[in-house]
Amino acid sequence: MPLDTSTYNLALLRVDGRRWNELRDQRGQMGVQPSADGSAYLQMGNTKIQAIVAGPNERDASKTNSSASTAATAGGLGATVAVGITVAPFATVDRKRRGRNDKRLQEMQTTLAAALAAAVQGQAYGPRSTIHVSLHVLSQDGSLLAALVNAASLALVDAGVPMTDYLVACTAGSTSSYAAADEAADPLLDLNTQEEQELPFLTLATLGASDKVVAMVCESRVQLARLEGMMATAADGCKGVRDFLDRVVREKGEIMVQEGAVGRGEVVSSMDLD
Amino acid sequence: MSSSTLLLSPAELAYLHSSLSLTTPAPIRPDGRSPTQFRPLTAETGILPGTNGSARICFADGTEAIVGVKAEVEKTPVSPYEFVASTEGRKDHSEKKSRRKSKKAENDETSMDVDEDGDEADSAAPVKMEGSPDWVELSVEIPGLRDDDSGTVFLTSMLTEALLADGEFVKKLWINRRFHWKLYLDIILISPPLSYPLPLLSLTTHLALLATRLPRLKSEADEDPMFDDDWAAATFLYARQDSEPKATSTQSTVRAPASRPPITLLVMAVGDNIIFDPSKEELAVADSAVAVSVAEGPSSLNSSESDPDSTSTTTTKRNLHLLSVRTIDPPSRLTPPGVPNSVNATAWGTMTAATAAAAATPAGSVASTEGAAKHPDARVDETEDVVGVWKAPRGGAKFAMLGAMVAKVLERGGVADEVLDGLEGVELT
Repeated sequence: MPLDTSTYNLALLRVDGRRWNELRDQRGQMGVQPSADGSAYLQMGNTKIQAIVAGPNERDASKTNSSASTAATAGGLGATVAVGITVAPFATVDRKRRGRNDKRLQEMQTTLAAALAAAVQGQAYGPRSTIHVSLHVLSQDGSLLAALVNAASLALVDAGVPMTDYLVACTAGSTSSYAAADEAADPLLDLNTQEEQELPFLTLATLGASDKVVAMVCESRVQLARLEGMMATAADGCKGVRDFLDRVVREKGEIMVQEGAVGRGEVVSSMDLD
Repeated sequence: MSSSTLLLSPAELAYLHSSLSLTTPAPIRPDGRSPTQFRPLTAETGILPGTNGSARICFADGTEAIVGVKAEVEKTPVSPYEFVASTEGRKDHSEKKSRRKSKKAENDETSMDVDEDGDEADSAAPVKMEGSPDWVELSVEIPGLRDDDSGTVFLTSMLTEALLADGEFVKKLWINRRFHWKLYLDIILISPPLSYPLPLLSLTTHLALLATRLPRLKSEADEDPMFDDDWAAATFLYARQDSEPKATSTQSTVRAPASRPPITLLVMAVGDNIIFDPSKEELAVADSAVAVSVAEGPSSLNSSESDPDSTSTTTTKRNLHLLSVRTIDPPSRLTPPGVPNSVNATAWGTMTAATAAAAATPAGSVASTEGAAKHPDARVDETEDVVGVWKAPRGGAKFAMLGAMVAKVLERGGVADEVLDGLEGVELT
């Protein structure tokens, strides 16, 4: 169903009632899977991701080459990050089964593996180890790649894999797709499926709150003049996402201190938990 | 059976096997459970609002599965015989019913009545409600495995088989003569396959189906179906029993008795012991493993006319019936065998005194080269069981053992009862 974007200019409100720079409701949880080395559940609007991290393990030559996951090496001679994405057939409104050889999924795996490899300090483990990140998309409502990046980041934190900073991602779009309204076009933050189908958008991944871009994916035609605005908006969104992820991690840390799993000030000395 | 490899030495396997085959007090399981005891699990339903029904179960060993059920309206292809059949339908139907009554197959009969009485439109004009196995599509996704992997395909077919075995399930998907629901069951194992995931997937599917709701039908008879927009008015695929079962027992059976989706349990045998809910370590020494699918018919409390005992017992009795039994190739087949000392070249020094003396009589050099020939025991030890030496089991389950396993699943107050009781406690949202 195409989205009627013409109403945006009337009240400057989007179809779901957000303003241009508002993120959707986000929820996150760490350690949802006791048998995994690290796990996280992340919800960005109606996009729901469960991420499982296994490893670092000894590299399994037979597995890294399979189509189930795509690998990228972190930090030159460091550990390899292998990413596998499964989209549940019931994730979309109309049921749709996606095979493992789905080109779009494979491309996302490659992007994700490269982006995560840039954030992970792989040299801590050495070249013979692999970190497997498997991501399950339970519900899909736009900003899929961004949500996958954030969920993977959270799960890696849970697994205790050293990273330079949170790897965070966010999407940004532009209100109209035609050239005439260049001046009136507003950038939009964190698109949902409806908006993604109609509007040009890009996914931007940055390293924490810095403006260091780790990955950028844009698959739609967009006016070059609008690109900068979209990127700036996405980078702002990434800061918001980073704050959110940080909050989730701190909450988890507080719980761990309360439960006595970690002594206060012992490991979490740099965190301000009061 | 493609669970991750287990690192147990033949000696450990032998020890595990012998402790599990102890009979006098009870088998000793590695985690101290009794043979019929299940591990605790956490379950929730209705986790995905975008589906008709969904459930998530976490087992204590950390494996986790999510099942989502989606339904679509599909047109039923009309066969050219349909119209001929419909004119004779009334006669045919009543005939069939009486025949079934005479067979005294109470399960079938009562649940048939449920389906027919559940829809008022049907009882007015008796229509043969038929389902087709094509109306259900089930897919299993296991991380790290291809979807055409033989293990995945086997799991899929076993779960499908249980669902379709008695033909009652697909009848629930009947809308009218021209339309039906097509149900997609998508089963996803979230965690890596640490143990054989069949029971986990089956229980999660059970819960998801219990939580599945279909929009309420507003149109009548064979019109194009129209549904109520209000999700709150949607009807459960498996009709609920009233909250107070005692009220229904005094009245006649007005409410539809709750039948429930099938469950498939994994049962294994070690020696003469039957062990339920085996862990990965226990499966590695199983003599045989069997998947037993059980369905619950309408509880016998409602059909109290036929069964006078049910009035005396206040609790509802389950009406369990067997759907299918499948033997499963246990991973124990692939375990490496231990080597008895008598044939182990590196263990010549540790031979028993008698054999050592026998070996010492000829010249020492001959003893080492012709050691095996000198000991008739060695040949026997290679082919037959030696106490304390692990050997992968051969052959399938014994008939008597199969029967005992099935009986143990089905017995009143038995394991299936217990599992269903436990799942009943899960709040459906």
